Amino acid sequence: MSIPVSWYLVVSAIIFTIGIAGVLIRRNPLIIFMSIELMLNAVNLSFVAFSHYLDSVDGQMFVFLVLTVAAAEVVVGLAIIVSIFRTRRNIDVDDMNILRG
Amino acid sequence: MIDVTLISFFVLAVASVASALGVIFFRNAVHSALSLILTLLFLALFYLQLGAMFIAIVQVLIYAGAIMVLFLFVVTMLASEASDNEQRDRIPWQRGVAAALGVVLVGALSYLLITGATINANVKASGANSLAATVTKQGDTQAFGLALFHGFAFPFEVTSLLIVVAILGAMVLGRKS
Amino acid sequence: MTNLTVWILALPLLGFVILSLAGRAMARPAVLTVALGTTGIAFLFAFLSFLSVHGTPPSSPAAGDQVIYTWVNSGAVGAGPNANPLIISFGLLLDPLSAVMLMVVTGVGFLIHIYSAGYMHEESDGEFSRFFSYMNFFIFAMVLLVSADNFLFLLVGWGLVGLASFLLIGFWYQRRSATAAALKALVINIIGDFGLMIAIFLIFKTYGTLNFYNDSNGTIGVLNQAAPGLTTTAICLLLFIACAAKSAQLPLYMWLPDAMEGPTPVSALIHAATMVTAGVYLVARAHAFFEVSPTALLIVAVLGGLTAIFAASIAVFQLDIKRVLAYSTISQLGYMFMSEGAHDYSGGMFHLITHAYFKALLFLAAGAVIHALGGEQDMRKMGGLRHRLKITFWTFLIAALAISGIPPLSGFWSKDEILGSLLAHASATPGKTGDIFYLLWAIGLITAGLTAFYMFRLVMGIFFGRYRGSGPAQHSEEVEGTEIEEHIQGHGGFYRIYEAPAVMTIPLIILAIFSVIGGWIGSFALFGARNWHPLETFLSPVFTNPAWSATPVASPAVSLSAQWLSTGLSVGLGVLGILGAVALYRKGFEYKESKNDFYQLVFHKYYIDELLTAILINPLLWFGRAASQLLEGDVLDGGSRGVAWVFGRTSAGLRRLQTGYMRNYALAILFGVILIVIYFAVRG
Repeated sequence: MSIPVSWYLVVSAIIFTIGIAGVLIRRNPLIIFMSIELMLNAVNLSFVAFSHYLDSVDGQMFVFLVLTVAAAEVVVGLAIIVSIFRTRRNIDVDDMNILRG
Repeated sequence: MIDVTLISFFVLAVASVASALGVIFFRNAVHSALSLILTLLFLALFYLQLGAMFIAIVQVLIYAGAIMVLFLFVVTMLASEASDNEQRDRIPWQRGVAAALGVVLVGALSYLLITGATINANVKASGANSLAATVTKQGDTQAFGLALFHGFAFPFEVTSLLIVVAILGAMVLGRKS
Repeated sequence: MTNLTVWILALPLLGFVILSLAGRAMARPAVLTVALGTTGIAFLFAFLSFLSVHGTPPSSPAAGDQVIYTWVNSGAVGAGPNANPLIISFGLLLDPLSAVMLMVVTGVGFLIHIYSAGYMHEESDGEFSRFFSYMNFFIFAMVLLVSADNFLFLLVGWGLVGLASFLLIGFWYQRRSATAAALKALVINIIGDFGLMIAIFLIFKTYGTLNFYNDSNGTIGVLNQAAPGLTTTAICLLLFIACAAKSAQLPLYMWLPDAMEGPTPVSALIHAATMVTAGVYLVARAHAFFEVSPTALLIVAVLGGLTAIFAASIAVFQLDIKRVLAYSTISQLGYMFMSEGAHDYSGGMFHLITHAYFKALLFLAAGAVIHALGGEQDMRKMGGLRHRLKITFWTFLIAALAISGIPPLSGFWSKDEILGSLLAHASATPGKTGDIFYLLWAIGLITAGLTAFYMFRLVMGIFFGRYRGSGPAQHSEEVEGTEIEEHIQGHGGFYRIYEAPAVMTIPLIILAIFSVIGGWIGSFALFGARNWHPLETFLSPVFTNPAWSATPVASPAVSLSAQWLSTGLSVGLGVLGILGAVALYRKGFEYKESKNDFYQLVFHKYYIDELLTAILINPLLWFGRAASQLLEGDVLDGGSRGVAWVFGRTSAGLRRLQTGYMRNYALAILFGVILIVIYFAVRG
């Protein structure tokens, strides 16, 4: 029996939502970052699933590009976190609220 | 008779969701990172199951290898100060709301996917464009490479630019001012 | 020779650019060299162009047309028979009409430039160069106006002339009255510009082109396809609004008398060579429209006639010598429009030319008087000046005789040609229209008498009788460059009055010569040899050749007896006017305030200014004040304050949403995403 594509997509949706929840709940920026990675990977999963079911390589191409973008993003993001940590000695995102109205 | 593919799918699905939950629920950031590595490995297995061999290998090498090492490095560097529970949560209501909205989102998406998502045969690639045909003819990695350097050459080059910019940005940010 | 037109246009512009950029740093001789040099060479070129046009009359307008630059060249515009491509080019037209106008503009303009060198001598260096740069600009604008080959660039010239007049009338901008007069001139001119603009829109909508004639590039012209109809009448009337504003006809004449606030050479330039002739020129240029719209032409004639007598009657009672001359100009322009209204366009142009000579002369001579008296313009403080200002007196007298229509001076020929044409047109036209022209002819005659009267009232007041002033103001002495001898200062300052320097009197003499002989070219018409009228022959292609004129103009032919009747009457009335003035002011001008109602009415210029103030300006001012207090204070300010309050309170409330917690914002995004997903789920 072959697995319907929607099952993969549901798994993808669940992992994506877990990522969202992580961003919303956690205050440690590193963990928020990891949650974002979770979201990206959830989307990657759906891309690969589509690639398989559409019998086309394009989905894998997107995964490949998302991977590189994610790598770049992590590099810059971690650099920012490190430099914030250097100046503030504290990396609770709730402390960064000077935009409060 | 029980299908091996089906069993492996369910096992992988449960495992990956569980490890993903671990990412956001572990208090210690190192544990979260390890849990994330686990999730990524499970996803790589998913890719293998879906026949995307090259992507699965790259997933392990780049994500689990390079990116997560970077994460762990930073986590350990900041670990002593980077605990989540030093301060009281100033917006505790957010947890409940976020959980509720998350459940709603998963519910709505699952409902939509289960009821609506089918593959239209018209959009399926066929003949020479078909992935399966290319893979049987030339092998998985060759098929990927051919597509990358023919149809996706320009995005690929742009990616290299992006990486250069990211490297420069990281250098600038990492410098001691 | 056609190429010279560009230079006639470019030279004054060049002078203007040089003087306005570097004038302040230049010495006076350099300023004069630039200003007089550019205008003088422009005049020379205009003369050469005139000779070339005269030697070989062009067969069609395209022969004299020169497209300098094509601005717009589109595909076909509109639909139907008018679907021409829209081509707007900057082209210069040299045909008999514009050649004559160029001669007048640059020639008289040049003489006035020379005169100004003396008149403006007292101004500081900066003012001196500013004055000449404006003067050059004025000439440039006027040349552009008369040589443009399409309506659009005619409008450009038209507007620039208005601007130049604004600058020059308001030249002494420290004087409140000068700036007010400049503003008045500008506002009224803009009414005219507006009329011209609407007329141009209508022309374009109806004919699909703006060129006067088929030009050298093959663009279709509008004037040789003018067709009768309501639209054409509307175009004509709108054009005439423009002409009335520029040429100071009823009801838009008010700015011209106030324009006296500018320096006298400016008045001379505005009244004689440039500005006011533009309206006469435009009617002559666009005669193809007027010819097919008899209604519009009748209105032109009637308004011209009314203006002529109206302004002449005001001039009779004015005390400021320049104002008398100003109203006289308005009146004479009325003659020109009457002539054009009676299909005699070349007669109108003829009077325009002779008028340019003697009116420029009158203004310059009046300027010499004012200059000698150190700025005095009131006739009550003059008198007996013929002993002190001999050249001025004689030249002024010649001009006064010329404008009064005394043979054989120039004004006589041109005025009588107009009167003859009016009479001929009246007798040739049956019915009420003919009666109207008889009436206009009578008005012309009476105006001729009035003109003679007020001119000699002026002559007597300025030059005869006892000197009633107290001598020139002190600052004019340095102009004369003569030491004032102490012992003769006692005689009311009369002996401190000196004739102007040669640089001012020579233009007077030249203009006086032209005022005498300038009309002789028309002399044969009086003896029935109408065909042998050099000016009319010269201009005839424009008015009779189908290449220029869709409906060739049939100039009214006057019978010899009628011509002599008209001439006899006008000369008789002129002489009567002169004799009346001489008899009345034999012992010198004496001002008597009269309580007579009619006298008061005319003396106060029919209370037109007061009327305008009462019905137009005061309500506007009242409305403005009320608006500034009520509307702006409570309504507008209150409104904006209210809006500010509402926004302030609203944002104070909304500010709470901006918690500053990034996670909150992310939550809001998630909420939005869920709404979208639910929308798809519900839609199915």
